[in-house]
Amino acid sequence: MAKRLFLTFAVLLLVAVAFLPVLSMFAKSIMVEGHFSLAPYSEVMGSSHQWNLMRNSMVLSGLVMFFSVAVGLPLGILFGKSDFPFRRFLAGIFVVPLLIPPYILAVSWSDLLGNGLFGLPGAAFILFSIFLPIPMLLTMVFLRTINPRLEEAARLVSGWPGVLRGVTIPLVLPGVLLSAVLVFLLSFGEFSVPNFLRFPVFPVESFTQFSAFYNFKAATAATIPLVVVTLVLLFAEAGFLREKTYQLRPSPDIDSLAPLGLGGYRWPVFTAVAVLALVLVIVPLAVLLIQAGGLNIYAEALVGSWGSLMRSIGYAVAGATLLAFMGFITGYLIQRKALWCWRVVDSMMLFIFVLPSTVVGIGLISLWNTPETTFIYSTPLIIILGYVAKYTALTSRISVAHLGQIPLSMEEAAQVSGAGWFHTMVVIVAPMAWRGLAVSWLVGYIFCLRDMGITMLVYPPGYETLPVRIFTQMANGSPQLIAALCTIMIVATLLPVGFIWALLRLLNRKLHI
Amino acid sequence: MKTVTMDSVSKSYNGVKVLDKFSLEIKERERIVLLGASGCGKTTILRLIAGFLVPDMGSISIAGELVARDGRIFKQPEERNLGMVFQDLALWPHLSVKGNVEFGLKARGLPKGEREKRIKETLGLVSLENFINKKPGELSGGQQQRVALARVLVLEPAVILMDEPLSSLDAELNVRLRKEIIQLQEKLGYSLLYVTHNEPEAMEIATRVVRI
Repeated sequence: MAKRLFLTFAVLLLVAVAFLPVLSMFAKSIMVEGHFSLAPYSEVMGSSHQWNLMRNSMVLSGLVMFFSVAVGLPLGILFGKSDFPFRRFLAGIFVVPLLIPPYILAVSWSDLLGNGLFGLPGAAFILFSIFLPIPMLLTMVFLRTINPRLEEAARLVSGWPGVLRGVTIPLVLPGVLLSAVLVFLLSFGEFSVPNFLRFPVFPVESFTQFSAFYNFKAATAATIPLVVVTLVLLFAEAGFLREKTYQLRPSPDIDSLAPLGLGGYRWPVFTAVAVLALVLVIVPLAVLLIQAGGLNIYAEALVGSWGSLMRSIGYAVAGATLLAFMGFITGYLIQRKALWCWRVVDSMMLFIFVLPSTVVGIGLISLWNTPETTFIYSTPLIIILGYVAKYTALTSRISVAHLGQIPLSMEEAAQVSGAGWFHTMVVIVAPMAWRGLAVSWLVGYIFCLRDMGITMLVYPPGYETLPVRIFTQMANGSPQLIAALCTIMIVATLLPVGFIWALLRLLNRKLHI
Repeated sequence: MKTVTMDSVSKSYNGVKVLDKFSLEIKERERIVLLGASGCGKTTILRLIAGFLVPDMGSISIAGELVARDGRIFKQPEERNLGMVFQDLALWPHLSVKGNVEFGLKARGLPKGEREKRIKETLGLVSLENFINKKPGELSGGQQQRVALARVLVLEPAVILMDEPLSSLDAELNVRLRKEIIQLQEKLGYSLLYVTHNEPEAMEIATRVVRI
């Protein structure tokens, strides 16, 4: 009983935080002077400009998806399956662009190439370098779920190329398709990079309608195509892939399989991959360091943005803590199918995650901008709520994967010993899932810290974060100062990541688990 | 004539010696059963012969040809002309019965007509002609067992390795499939190296039992 009540309360809370804002936004957009009206929508749909934006969004997302999967899948196989040298280190390098605010790479490349980067090719290239780790990482994760005997059975009759074609790639295909959907939707909703590179896409339109003209109804109407595309792809994902991606468990004897030997190709392939890492990650980061110049610029940047930096870290810590908690609860609900609505909860979280940040931001304003809720709307609470709404899907999926490795019998043994559900959760399940909680917190921290789409729209005056500060300075700030701020942002992201990663490794070794 | 020879093979995992100077010869048409408790190295022997592991010391020859010696491997698994039935069967879940059986034939570059003929013959041998388009998940435990066997038989290997293939089946089915395994081996004439920890199973199948 306590379990059902608690989980039901958590679901209702999540609905209020994540789903109600979007619902409220649509409800308000179809009411004109107290009457039902679709006028804002017909205006948007009837405009050829909007359809051009839609075409641009689709082309950009399609290109990013295609190249990310075409490069990410082989990289994932190289890092996850072969005897490729320094594979963990290089995989880590490729992940860096995903961890930092997207526009930082746009700033860096534009410092290097100037106007030559503007338009579709530049936006596609930068988003490709940001989202490339998604198919790469998902391929690596799915590779670890394959029973090694399936590949060994194929190895008895075929070389590795045949095994990859006939067995390995078909078995990781659900992960690859999921990554393709995610990359498409995340590119579709991304507005800071296309905005900076002057490539007009749909999210830029809704952001402009809202922030420049404060035309709430037009901004909402401009989000409709984004929502429709998101829903269509999510339904497809739910129909074809969801069951295959829920119960991701590493195969117990995965390390018993001999790695794919690259033989004479080992070093030539390494060189090619290292050059790719150099171009996609090292060069843009180095450009920022060079552009920023001396320590005096960093000192000036730090003095000017100290408050923003501290606020960013504070909000990210608070957001990550709430996200780890909510992710754990919803992850438990989904993994154990503890309430009838587990699938709806999962779909709702994923829907909000892939929904463009501008839509979520406008929804939050629509719901909370009332005299009764000033304590939320005019304080950093609105930012934290936005983080929880947007990113719980991530921490929930991480918890699902970790909870899946804890046999149900562990809980049952505690219960037959007389422990109640809460006691079992606190004393048995949570400690056993500590790694998942730590990873959830870390992922939550990174995504809260790098968030700009939601924060940009909802932050109350005087509560701006560092990403927002950088973004607003990009229009007319000094390039040196912006480069220094971007470098500070990267350090603020990567330092805790490195620290917690090292701590997790140390704990793993000390606890021998 | 000898089909497989292991000569003074040693193998360690993380400093723990699992096999110490182990030797074994498998002759043509022989059915050898490796009998021993869990963790004694039975599966390691199969994986060394198949080429999934490399012996730290000692040598392994197949059909008179040296395939691995003293930490070095000379022939990859797919070059050894062996078949293996795994403990968990390792049927490829995304492929149909036909796809599972056909995989090795395709890898060897056989033309379509020849492939179809051999698939039909082999599925006939294991009484699975009517399940050709089913996926492994749609079959019973016994039928899955037969698919695993058909996948190996279709390539006509000289030696088949079986790693406790009946351990997950109920007693009645286990006894029935033992007889089928013996009948097929006598009919087709391959050498069989069979691993189990079940003594009655070992006694029924083996022409020679090796205790380790």
